[in-house]
Amino acid sequence: MPRIPEPLRRLTRGLAVPVGSVLFAFVVGGLIVAGTGGDPVVAYQGLVCGGLGILCSGGENSALQISNTIIFVTPLLMAGVAVALPFRAGLFNIGAEGQYLAGAVACTAIGVKFSTLPAPILLPMVLLGGMAAGAFWAGIAGVLKATTGAHEVVTTIMLNYVAQWLVRYLIIGGPLQLQGGFSVSSPIGPGAQLATILPNDNHRILFGLPSSVYRIHVGLFIALAAVAVFAFLLWRTPLGYEIRAVGQSQRAARYAGVSVRRTIIVTMLIAGAFAGLAGAVQIAGVDHNLTDIYFSDTTGFDAIAVALLGLGSGVGIVLASILFGALHAGGSVMQADAGISSSLVLVLQALILFSIGANFLSAIKVRLPAIGRSPSTPPAAIAAAATATEATGAPPEKDTS
Amino acid sequence: MSEQVSGAPAVEMRGITKAWPGVIANNGVDLTVRAGEVHALVGENGAGKSTLMNILYGLIHPDAGEILINGTPARITGARDAIAHGIGMVHQHFMLIPVFSVGENVMLGREPVTGGAFYDHARARKEIEALTQRYGLALDPDARTGDLPVGLQQRVEIVKVLYRGANILILDEPTGVLTPQESIELFGVLRDLVKAGKTIIFISHKLREVLEISDRITVMRRGKVVGHLTTKETNEQEIATLMVGREVLLRVEKKPAEPGPVTFRVENLTASSDRGVPALRGVSFELRQGEILGIAGVEGNGQSELVEVLAGTRRATGGRVLLGDRDVTAFDARMERDSGIAHIPEDRRGTGLVLAYSIADNLVLGRQRTPAFSWHGMVLRISAIKAWAKRLVKEFDIRAGNIDVLARTLSGGNQQKIIVAREMGNRPRVLLAAQPTRGVDIGAIEFIHRRLVAERDEGTAVLLVSAELEEIRSLSDRIAVFYEGRIVSIEPADTPEERLGLLMTGGGSGTRTGAA
Repeated sequence: MPRIPEPLRRLTRGLAVPVGSVLFAFVVGGLIVAGTGGDPVVAYQGLVCGGLGILCSGGENSALQISNTIIFVTPLLMAGVAVALPFRAGLFNIGAEGQYLAGAVACTAIGVKFSTLPAPILLPMVLLGGMAAGAFWAGIAGVLKATTGAHEVVTTIMLNYVAQWLVRYLIIGGPLQLQGGFSVSSPIGPGAQLATILPNDNHRILFGLPSSVYRIHVGLFIALAAVAVFAFLLWRTPLGYEIRAVGQSQRAARYAGVSVRRTIIVTMLIAGAFAGLAGAVQIAGVDHNLTDIYFSDTTGFDAIAVALLGLGSGVGIVLASILFGALHAGGSVMQADAGISSSLVLVLQALILFSIGANFLSAIKVRLPAIGRSPSTPPAAIAAAATATEATGAPPEKDTS
Repeated sequence: MSEQVSGAPAVEMRGITKAWPGVIANNGVDLTVRAGEVHALVGENGAGKSTLMNILYGLIHPDAGEILINGTPARITGARDAIAHGIGMVHQHFMLIPVFSVGENVMLGREPVTGGAFYDHARARKEIEALTQRYGLALDPDARTGDLPVGLQQRVEIVKVLYRGANILILDEPTGVLTPQESIELFGVLRDLVKAGKTIIFISHKLREVLEISDRITVMRRGKVVGHLTTKETNEQEIATLMVGREVLLRVEKKPAEPGPVTFRVENLTASSDRGVPALRGVSFELRQGEILGIAGVEGNGQSELVEVLAGTRRATGGRVLLGDRDVTAFDARMERDSGIAHIPEDRRGTGLVLAYSIADNLVLGRQRTPAFSWHGMVLRISAIKAWAKRLVKEFDIRAGNIDVLARTLSGGNQQKIIVAREMGNRPRVLLAAQPTRGVDIGAIEFIHRRLVAERDEGTAVLLVSAELEEIRSLSDRIAVFYEGRIVSIEPADTPEERLGLLMTGGGSGTRTGAA
């Protein structure tokens, strides 16, 4: 028997779950397509084209596809961090969605209210405001966990609902609604908007299209920086050391002089800030106002899949974000080229999450013990709760909006 | 019960070899266990005892070698085969369901059934009673298992194995979790089992026990058998030397203490246990520089809580703790540590280490925010941590490939050395050592004992809490006996074991002789 070197074995073992989950999802997804009369090869070709800009058959512009994927990847990176960081402390932040919306609302409110301020002042204001709002939203769950022992899975799910309905209230008849009866807010001031990376010019032709169609914005760099900050925080700071210690053994953490409660709160605050930043960047970089698409937004839920698939590591989050970003962006091309409903993307995503939940959670059962004084929630229940939120939290919104 | 009585070999393992990536756990191991004997398998942690026994029990498949049971070659590919061959294993960590009754645990997987599908309580009880009476193992089949003391839980495991028809019983470190009294009871049970014709393989690294209970001994070191001994013809020193591979000091060599001024003063300290009942009922003592004060006592009399309060991980409900002139009663763990109180906690794996951390990371546990290892408490000084770790790994002989190895993968002795190194590495003023050698091998015990004495000689005030009376007596300069949350007496180091035992159980008249 040939001997495989230990580092390679460890790497293979580490990658087995995420890679296996993705393969599983694509195989089952392909069977579903074939079973419903479609051609899986054509479907996946469309998905790859729309996601990565390669293997296109319908004359799509590769650069535009990549740009669109990056638009999806950007918020996933930051929201993914917002789930991954609490994971390390043994906390399951299902509330990235609510924190993301809180960030988007704060960014919009500040950007509209102070729309006349110049960018050097207003841009930091909206981004920091978004972070503060996200931190506040997550902090509620953190404080509850640390003081009353209320389980963060339950509280963050509930806070998601509050945030979702709050967004609805604010732009349907609420204080942020644009005059004229539309379910949108006023646009944020130009000073609050993140610049696009390519010139926003209708006459300049880049990669065969006017450069203004490429909407990738500098938020991408903010997002990558956020992932870098996350990795640095986790592995290079005493705080990260303590967060990981709390996640591994609360008794050891206490022995080391770490306040477990304080660490739980701080972790949630930081995580919320990342998710809030994601929301703020999305408003400032892409939408520029709060619209009804936020009713059915699933970024914060997708972030759970990103964090799980990325195994809570910086590199993993980047790779998983690219995968999910490409899936989202590719769905419409698949629908156009192969005639397969883009809802297949949601099926694939759910399958990935399902198969990770089945594998990964058996692993974190050992590594991430229950927290605080609350009775421990079995990982399976957490998984079910997470998936249930994913499944039920968002779709009903679509029906009503 | 000796070799004359025992006849043909019950178990023969020949040339057993098993390699894991990087280590050869068993290298051509031969083991012969005669029917009707107690055969001790001794060796330090990591010597390959457990691997060998797991191979015999079918949990691990050897790369080479053969197994004969009662003279005929046996293919054991799983626990089911082992049970079919009459082999039973009592694991170190019990495999019992706490909420089940004793009867249900014993029957689990082989429940007697009535009416096609229903658990037959009556028959289960009868069978267990028959079994327990036959071997003199008093057990109430209806008791809830989780409510039983550890010694009785172990008895449930033994009965469970017997119920499955075992003739050859493997006991993996059976006394590791027992009190001295429970160990004595266990030995009685083992003797009865042998009388009834059972064969016992007893895995241990406690040499006194091995000498007391076994007929023959197989010694392993680094995956190989290094000696087959007959118990009657050997002694502790010979076994220890074989186990470790060199002469071992079983007695601690130390000079008389030269106590300095009082540096640590505990006055009328009270505290509650986790369940909220008083655990410390007014503890007072003084600790001088350069002395070891041993705390003797049956476990659960408040010693654990005392150490936790002093280390800052449990709150005092009354009294004072003074370090020099400073009142440190209300300090938390970090402040205690920063002010020079080091703490070797009794729970190594759950408290003293983060098992998923590397050796290097564990060596700064509790000091992650000190200026030595972080820049203003904001950024870890990775290179300083590495340098510190390399120094301690060398100085404290922590055996591992490198400092990035996870603590989880190390032997108990090396794990404990990490903690000892970390807590001694900074020249503490006071060292709280709780069960510092529990569950570690002889080599590590010898090493840790020597370091504790060296620490004392450097002028550290050492508080030693241990359930091993022998350890207390050989290391301490004075002995405080704990009973029901109080110090009933402070005795000189040469107090006879009998007197200490009496005081520990609430007897004797506590005179506070030897008090500072």
